[in-house]
Amino acid sequence: MSQNTAVAAAPAAVELFAEEPQRGHIRTFLRRHPSIVLGGTILALMVAIALLAPYLWTTDPQALAPRLRVRPPSAEFWFGTDMLGRDIYSRVLYGTRVSLIVGFSVAILASLAGLAIGLISGFIRLADGIIMRVMDGLMSIPPILLAIALMAATRGSVENVIIAITIAEIPRVSRLVRGVVLSLREQPFVEAAIAAGTTTRRIIIRHILPNTLAPLTVQATYICASAMITEAILSFIGAGTPPIIPSWGNIMAEGRALWQVAPYIVFFPAVFLSLTVLSVNLLGDGLRDALDPRMAKRL
Amino acid sequence: MLAYVVRRILATIPVMLVVAFVVFSMLMLAPGDPAAVIAGDQATPEDVERIRQALGLDRPFFVQFADFLWRLLHLDLGTSIFTNLPVTHMIAQRIEPTLALMVLTIVLAVSVAVPLGVLAAWKAGSWIDRGVMLFAVFGFSVPVFVVGYVLAYFFALEWELLPVQGYTPLREGFFPFLENLILPAIALGTVYIALIARITRATMLEVLAQDYIRTAKAKGLGMGPILFLHGLKNAAVPISTVVGLGIALLIGGAVVTESVFAIPGLGRLTVDAILRRDYPVIQGVVLLFSFVYVLINLLIDLLYILFDPRIRY
Repeated sequence: MSQNTAVAAAPAAVELFAEEPQRGHIRTFLRRHPSIVLGGTILALMVAIALLAPYLWTTDPQALAPRLRVRPPSAEFWFGTDMLGRDIYSRVLYGTRVSLIVGFSVAILASLAGLAIGLISGFIRLADGIIMRVMDGLMSIPPILLAIALMAATRGSVENVIIAITIAEIPRVSRLVRGVVLSLREQPFVEAAIAAGTTTRRIIIRHILPNTLAPLTVQATYICASAMITEAILSFIGAGTPPIIPSWGNIMAEGRALWQVAPYIVFFPAVFLSLTVLSVNLLGDGLRDALDPRMAKRL
Repeated sequence: MLAYVVRRILATIPVMLVVAFVVFSMLMLAPGDPAAVIAGDQATPEDVERIRQALGLDRPFFVQFADFLWRLLHLDLGTSIFTNLPVTHMIAQRIEPTLALMVLTIVLAVSVAVPLGVLAAWKAGSWIDRGVMLFAVFGFSVPVFVVGYVLAYFFALEWELLPVQGYTPLREGFFPFLENLILPAIALGTVYIALIARITRATMLEVLAQDYIRTAKAKGLGMGPILFLHGLKNAAVPISTVVGLGIALLIGGAVVTESVFAIPGLGRLTVDAILRRDYPVIQGVVLLFSFVYVLINLLIDLLYILFDPRIRY
């Protein structure tokens, strides 16, 4: 029987791993998916910056120097200083940490929660109606507003930012997983597995779960990108990361009042944020093309 | 068909109930004492108690929710903790700039994005197509306030073509009104244009591969009528779906855009309310935006019947 199920699952597995880099094919893979390479490289660079921030010629990002207020970029202060005399270069580099932590955490948490909810919804008809009504309701609240309202009800902290953005992202993942589950349930290989007497548990683990991985991974990268933007927006309008922590949104919020005389305060975090989000989006587009050629054709 | 319309309208009621419940219960689900959180760190116990009573937090949960719904049905969104004015009153004062910004952005974005997407699909693989796709990737990656600052820096500060910030009501003349809103609308519209252009291109690629397009070409029809009459009309359903769903992006973006360009709209009201922890105002704005969002998407759903006579429910 286990042989049966393995054969039945085979077509999906082949499709999923068809373009995986195998030995000797790495160069072909890189050439075929330039956006994965470009996005991956920039993202790896940002991860390196986040990890190595203390060693990259930075000073204390919180160190005040009132006499060195609002200095334009120079040899001493590469990105200039803000209105409290803090070194923007150091603050921007340390800010990478906040963005990446929020982006990655939200992507992982929202994917896991969405996966669980989507699976339950796709398999238990009784729960499906209720869960999907709740998800419809949550989806009707624009994500940024939902996150703002959640943040307004709690204290500002990185953890709460992550939770608020995750809640705002869950409905979309759940819908995606549910859709995949419902269409897979009609597939001959799942019907065959049911006919062969496979338990529901085993069907979910062996047949459904592996097939949700590809679209879920792609979705997770997009969630990561949008979570980074949402974090910056929340911090920018004062509903996100507490001002004491240097995040790109916070640095821009502090530069807002001065942006006409000292545009570099806003400029440098903006460039880093855009570049990071761009790299994640490129990675997502590349993964989509590589993992799911059918979906790639449609978009 | 009438049955479908009625059913579709009735289906929005549970959605709106869930929205109301979520917005209402958020304050309760939050860790800690909501009254204390709203009062802030410097509040005295009397302040906390006053807020608790003002929000009705001292009563049972479902009694509060029933009361909340009942007031909602009477278009009562409660009273601001900070100004003591009715929330509906505060929203009414601030709604014009936001409405103007959104409408201008939608008009601008649709009239730019749809032709771009059609062009990209028609010339698939060409440099125009690549340009549009590249723009789409950047549009999704550069946050709205970054676009806003860059636009304001060049068009307002460097070249002095447009005012830097502010808002002029429509009744003081169309051109001053437009002058102030055009940069915010472009900034806000960038991601929306990217979204619509991408879906237009994808749908048009599918439509252009259909047999009836080949027939239209064979009978000697020009490219204009083929693309816009035969093609676009059949691509209208997915495109309008995305136009409707994308409004969620616009609503979120408007909050930020209004901060960047100092527009005294609902976004500013929200940001001010966050800084003052004026929860009833935030609740009211979120509810209003969500209901409008649901209604717009309901309307678009019903429009499908016009676009596509094959849809018979």
